[in-house]
Amino acid sequence: MDKLKVILSDAKKNILLSESSYDIKLISTKYLGRNGKINLLLQEIKKIDALERKEYGRKINQLKKQIEKLTSEKLTSLTQKEDENETVDVALPGKQYPHGSLHIVTLAIDEISHIFEKIGFIRMSYPEVEWEYFSFDALNMPPDHPARDDFETFFIDSKPHSKYGKMVLTPHTSSGQPREMMRLGQPPIRMINIAKTYRPNWDVSHAPMFHQFEGLCVDKKINISHLKGTISYFAKEFFGAKREIRLRPFHFQFTEPSFEVDITCGVCDGKGFIDDNKTKCKLCKSGWLELGGSGMVHPNVLMAGGIDPDEYTGWAFGFGVERVFMMKEGLNLDDLRILYSGDIRFLEQF
Amino acid sequence: MNIKISYKWLLEYLDTDASPFELQKYLSLCGPSVEHVTKVGDAERGGLTDYVLDIEITSNRIDMAAVMGIAREAQAILPQFGKKAKLKELKLSPPVKPVNELKISITDPSHTANRILGIVLDNITIGQSPDYIKKRLESAGIRALNNVVDITNYVMLEIGHPAHVFDYDRIHSNKLIFRKSKKGEKIISLEDKTYSLPGDDIVIEDGDGRIIDLPGIIGTSNSIVLPTTKRILFFIDNNDPVKMRRSSMKLGIRTVAATYNEKLPDPELGYTALLRGIQLYQKNAGARIASTIHDIYPHPRKEKSMKVYLKDIQRVMGVPIKENIITEILQRLGFKVLRHEDEELAYPDGVSFQVTVPTYRTDDISIKEDIIEEVARVYGYFNLPNNISPMVYIEQPKDIEKLFDVQRKIKYFLKNIGLHEVLNYSMISKELIEKMDLKLDNKLKIENTISEEIAFLRTSILPSLIKNIKENEGKRDILKFFEIAKVYEKKQSDLPNEIYRLGIAVNTSFADLKGIIEAILRDLNIKAYVTKKWVSQHFAKNLSAEILIADRSAVRFGQLKQSYQNNFEIKNKVYLAEFELNILLDNYKLVSPYVVPPQYALIKLDANIKSSKYNFDEIKKIAYKQSKLLHSIEYISSYKDTVTVRYYFTSAKENITEENAKKELEKILKVLV
Repeated sequence: MDKLKVILSDAKKNILLSESSYDIKLISTKYLGRNGKINLLLQEIKKIDALERKEYGRKINQLKKQIEKLTSEKLTSLTQKEDENETVDVALPGKQYPHGSLHIVTLAIDEISHIFEKIGFIRMSYPEVEWEYFSFDALNMPPDHPARDDFETFFIDSKPHSKYGKMVLTPHTSSGQPREMMRLGQPPIRMINIAKTYRPNWDVSHAPMFHQFEGLCVDKKINISHLKGTISYFAKEFFGAKREIRLRPFHFQFTEPSFEVDITCGVCDGKGFIDDNKTKCKLCKSGWLELGGSGMVHPNVLMAGGIDPDEYTGWAFGFGVERVFMMKEGLNLDDLRILYSGDIRFLEQF
Repeated sequence: MNIKISYKWLLEYLDTDASPFELQKYLSLCGPSVEHVTKVGDAERGGLTDYVLDIEITSNRIDMAAVMGIAREAQAILPQFGKKAKLKELKLSPPVKPVNELKISITDPSHTANRILGIVLDNITIGQSPDYIKKRLESAGIRALNNVVDITNYVMLEIGHPAHVFDYDRIHSNKLIFRKSKKGEKIISLEDKTYSLPGDDIVIEDGDGRIIDLPGIIGTSNSIVLPTTKRILFFIDNNDPVKMRRSSMKLGIRTVAATYNEKLPDPELGYTALLRGIQLYQKNAGARIASTIHDIYPHPRKEKSMKVYLKDIQRVMGVPIKENIITEILQRLGFKVLRHEDEELAYPDGVSFQVTVPTYRTDDISIKEDIIEEVARVYGYFNLPNNISPMVYIEQPKDIEKLFDVQRKIKYFLKNIGLHEVLNYSMISKELIEKMDLKLDNKLKIENTISEEIAFLRTSILPSLIKNIKENEGKRDILKFFEIAKVYEKKQSDLPNEIYRLGIAVNTSFADLKGIIEAILRDLNIKAYVTKKWVSQHFAKNLSAEILIADRSAVRFGQLKQSYQNNFEIKNKVYLAEFELNILLDNYKLVSPYVVPPQYALIKLDANIKSSKYNFDEIKKIAYKQSKLLHSIEYISSYKDTVTVRYYFTSAKENITEENAKKELEKILKVLV
């Protein structure tokens, strides 16, 4: 019987001295665990005289309950203390981790390529320094076309190629169209080309280097509805499910028919007015914003790429990366040139 | 280009019930974009209300850049929206030959012009134009001058062909001879500005060597009408559009007439414009016919005819549009349509249309797709369904896929460890190249640059990054930039090699830069590389190195030499690295091979070594060679030229003791020390 008392006083002492809920956990295991002191006593009960066995058992059980009660009380008070003994100004900043930034053109390119990847368009890469042939002739732009003027395209000071003409900095991603046709040899083509492009304009709304993304789809039975559907898909993925697109007639040399693509304005939801039709929307022209140019690939372009225009049709579009990203995020850059200024105060914000 | 025309003016040519705003909506969807509609006039003060339509004209449709052209478009488009639209034709007839003809000789010996039209008118009274003409011109953005000049502009905006007027009495020789200019010939424009001609421009001279006009672009002060003018030569010329644009751009004379003439207006419309002008001169300036119409027109423009199949129209539009709708649309556009059917073919394969194109559209319509466009746009693109292009699998070349994937990985990694991505122009200045003592002759040069800042294509990213550091000095204490971009390696008579580089610039320390480089390599799971000292033109002698991966130089890095730092006037030290992206791509692994963690005791021992003898790469190499039980090596710290290195020893078969480990270390140090 003394044995039980010793165990109890021992346990009481241990519990009293314990300082953390972890200590209590150890005490609990020591007395109440599978190989704990209580279980050892119970295993020895067989040695006890049969007449006293019941009473002895009852006492062990009592001891067990006492220890359980003591540990549980102590655990409650300790855990409360442990939770409360540290205070901190939760408004203070945490540990500082390095934080860099990506250029917004990178962010835009990532998102655009991801959207087209989902519908099976592969991103490709073509020369930025290109022959006139691929930038113009193969795109149905004859030698006297105004876009080939000194005022519209950068020319490289070098000997012209006997077949391909002069070297230029490509003024659009469309040079990828004949390149992709020639690479594959025959349709189907599903291509997206996102690249640097260059034009000799340098003012608040133009940088001499900028980025375009070009989509090209050539296959049997491709028609205008596929162009509409694909650009509409892009617009909803990139700008949001509520946005709609429309095509307006336009003119480009390398497409026929050609379209200007408009998207409903995100500020007025395409209504042209805000505040219950009272105030005219400042951002858009009557509910619509210009997204860029597109069209059905001109037969001459298909032929230049070695594709039979009687068998295959295709569509293409070319949009400005900077432009669509600024439209999406509502970034109001009062001077576009800041994109390429390398100013840390601009870069670090993205 | 944009034109601004009055709604009321349009109604003179078009019978319609469409409001200006309906016109805006419907024309924009199916034809020219009407960008703005502005209400003008002041009804309260008794003025009449009118609307000005601001319309964008695409370069292929100069026929639309006039009231008559817009009326033609409206006639085709508005009925599609249930609006009435009927063209009102102008009734014009050629004037009767006068009894006493005033002499004028117009010649084009070298055949420079498509068409030249002229007529002499006398009894002119110079004065003000009627109010409606002044208002219409002004709302179109053209200044009203006097009745005689205003008519030329009015006719241009109404019919769509530029016109000009000479003072007949100021052409003393009564001769107009078209010829090409010689370089350096001078003209004085009607604005009294002197221009030196670039050469090969179309000019008119009077036979005495005096240039009396720069046709299609601008009049000259020696032949234009004056307040005292009594007799005029009303003149319309149709010229080579390429020459028009070239002269206009080179001289910087961007008159409205030039913007029309560089887009080749229809010479047939020139004749309409002439008759309309004569009518207005008679009405507004009291003109009397004083000559026949002189008309030099060697190759008259003809209507053309082309065939388009119904199935092709349906194929491109993606809808089974009905024949009668096609015919109606084309007819309303002014095309003549004849239907043919080859009965041997199943419908609709045998159905075709023979379409006759009016002269004002022959320059723009040349293939069947042009006809399809006409049908589709008037039918309405908004009436076509939206379908995602059918899915097919196209294989993306693996090297391209890797290029974009790994590039993205590197960019996000560098961003996450605190670097800022910058994008610089691919072109740099001669000044920047010279500041870095780089060669000019291995760089591609832009022939027609617009600024010396962007004259040469980069062969390295580093000069731009140094510039970034300089320009951000003082804005932030710590600057860490990176850029991934192509550089352009000039080749003999071929396109340059476009090579991707990763450039890094920091203003912190050599160790920071080295840490970034190693972190990139670790992130890409590139483990096997060798660091070597590297003598560089640009980096400080003892702080310059390169890393070789599989014997190829993957990155060169170091501290920018003081002399270059001085050239850029940068205050703090700059540390730079430039990677060959290709080598990173070739050696990139998604994961490293798995190494089983040591099963037996791992014992660590530290030792100091003088680093002057071996660099750390060599130390590692020697250590692994000397001890088979060496598990790994860690750099702990340096003090002066002493390096503290920690060695971990273990055995794959059994537990080793510290004594065993110490013996192993001795083997290593025996060689190293």
